[in-house]
Amino acid sequence: MSEVKLVGIKKIYDNNVTAVHDFNLEIKDKEFIVLVGPSGCGKSTTLRMVAGLEEISDGQLYIDGRLVNDVAPKDRDIAMVFQSYALYPHMTVYDNMAFALKLRKTPKAEIDKKVREVAEILDITSYLSRKPKALSGGQRQRVAIGRAMVRDPKVFLMDEPLSNLDAKLRNQMRAEIIKLRQRINTTFMYVTHDQTEAMTLGDRIVIMKDGFVNQIGTPKEVFNKPVNLFVAGFIGMPVMNFFDNCKLLKENGVYFAEIRGVRFELSPFQQAALKQNGAESCEIVCGIRPQHITVGEGELTGRVEVSEMLGSEYNIHAVSGEDNVVMVIPTVGLETDVSMGATVNFTTMPELIQLFDKKSGNNLIWFDKESAEKNHPVCKSYDSL
Amino acid sequence: MSPALRRRENISGYLFLLPSLVFFVGFVVIPMIMCVVTSFYDANMNLNTPDVFIGFGNYVELWQDPVFIKALVNTFIIVGVSVPFVCAFSLWVASVIYKMREGLLSFFRIVFYLPVVTGSVAVTVVWKWMYNNYYGIFNHLLKGAGIIDSNINWLGDPKYALWCIIIILLTTSVGQPIVLYVSALSNVDQSLVEAAEVDGATNFQVFWRIKWRQIMPTTLYILVITTINSFQCFALIQLLTSGGPNYATETVMYYIYYTAFKLYRFGYGNAMGVILAIFIGLLSALQFRLAKEK
Repeated sequence: MSEVKLVGIKKIYDNNVTAVHDFNLEIKDKEFIVLVGPSGCGKSTTLRMVAGLEEISDGQLYIDGRLVNDVAPKDRDIAMVFQSYALYPHMTVYDNMAFALKLRKTPKAEIDKKVREVAEILDITSYLSRKPKALSGGQRQRVAIGRAMVRDPKVFLMDEPLSNLDAKLRNQMRAEIIKLRQRINTTFMYVTHDQTEAMTLGDRIVIMKDGFVNQIGTPKEVFNKPVNLFVAGFIGMPVMNFFDNCKLLKENGVYFAEIRGVRFELSPFQQAALKQNGAESCEIVCGIRPQHITVGEGELTGRVEVSEMLGSEYNIHAVSGEDNVVMVIPTVGLETDVSMGATVNFTTMPELIQLFDKKSGNNLIWFDKESAEKNHPVCKSYDSL
Repeated sequence: MSPALRRRENISGYLFLLPSLVFFVGFVVIPMIMCVVTSFYDANMNLNTPDVFIGFGNYVELWQDPVFIKALVNTFIIVGVSVPFVCAFSLWVASVIYKMREGLLSFFRIVFYLPVVTGSVAVTVVWKWMYNNYYGIFNHLLKGAGIIDSNINWLGDPKYALWCIIIILLTTSVGQPIVLYVSALSNVDQSLVEAAEVDGATNFQVFWRIKWRQIMPTTLYILVITTINSFQCFALIQLLTSGGPNYATETVMYYIYYTAFKLYRFGYGNAMGVILAIFIGLLSALQFRLAKEK
């Protein structure tokens, strides 16, 4: 069992800058949690507080039910993989991996067995006698993971472990981490600013901004049910299209979304949710994912500015009124002219339109203030986002 | 790059080097060669009496000269005491102050670096006053504390004179190593320290197994420069004791000066210079070797 519980965790630096506001999260045993957000959002600080490398200003941190706020990193039974790998340059790969076990006075034979076992798994056996400087980025990354693995820690912490690798290697290592996770089956906390890593690795994702937790959910939840404009814009590639100056209209108890004068009657589910939330006609921002747009039909129009042929699909960058619109269209069966300068009609299914309150940025369907405040009170601050 | 272009670049590169190269060859390389050559002569730099080639005569005489042997022993005592002390003390001070906030750190840097930038004559005059037989502060304090009954002639007593010189040398030698260690310790990759902490290392283990290895190049540099400076200790002797009393503070460097410029035995002095250079070279090579093994 290795559960991690963060209760009202805060980080305030000496210069009174608050890096993390009231962070609440319960990580289940063997769960893979990914903290994601832009630079400076507090995700690494949170991880470092869990590691014990950063003092906790307020709140409680429990690992396996034990309060560890004042416990030294070495006594928390955690292992960490650093962004810079942090391999000891004066030691060989073998010694790097054996270091923690030597400090714990593990018998030599056992150290040797463990190091070789892990090296075998990570396919680095042939590099054991080399120094880190003689390894490539990918190999160093494996050694860093291996160094953490030999310890069988309760919690595995990873701070942007792939960000120093090139795109190809990053994809490869991402797959390796997924395999590794299945093999070692322990609790993971993983920090990244790359939403693709977050979506592919995490059982649940914590999306942060400016020290606040914005949403905690499974990859599917945060993609399909973003609670606010930030989450909607941060998750998904290409990013969600936002249409400003839209309207939510309520006529005879029926809700419509009006985008650039074109009305969409919302789906029964949206109708019910809006009714339950007591929504009235108001100005809104509509969000539509590029993959959810169909071209060659509908009343919305856009002028194609750039058309990128990616083999199986087109990425079309168009301008529709004041809004820039990106559309991802499969090439198979495409009959519409999407060349540069062409004008295309496009539409979407009403149930795929995300409706955001123009003032607060909150999703009118998915933002549940009461539950948000209960689970992560920081959502109070959504109004100011 | 085409060969012609490369040649042109090489020529302009050498032209840029030329002024300093001329200076280096004229004032360093040629005198070094002259030093080695004249060490085989009975040379007195007098144009009227030509130098006489005596082979290894000067070198043989050196080992039969009790003053040179005494000077060599004194020099080794100075090196043996000052090198480890300077390294250990400056590392200790640096490790205490390097994490302090900027203002406080600068204050300590100034305190320890001040004797280095202050002229050696000024520093020596102050120390001479402190060591004074009649009104020196040390005698005053020690007598006041009841540790001694009568004044000690610090620089005039063979028992104390060399140690007094060593103490001054230490105060003027620790400044630069402290500054170097502060900078080296600040540059140790923090993620290595954090990784070691997470791996389970105690503060001492973090220092010994991570930081110490990371600052090894700085340590080696400090060892070498301190060794060279200690071997070449001259100004303090010249200003305070002139090698006395009874050669108690005689060092090889001072004896070279005395032999060459007071007795005009340049060949003999140069032979000592060659021996000193060999010792410095051997000790530095040994330090490099040990550091590399570590």
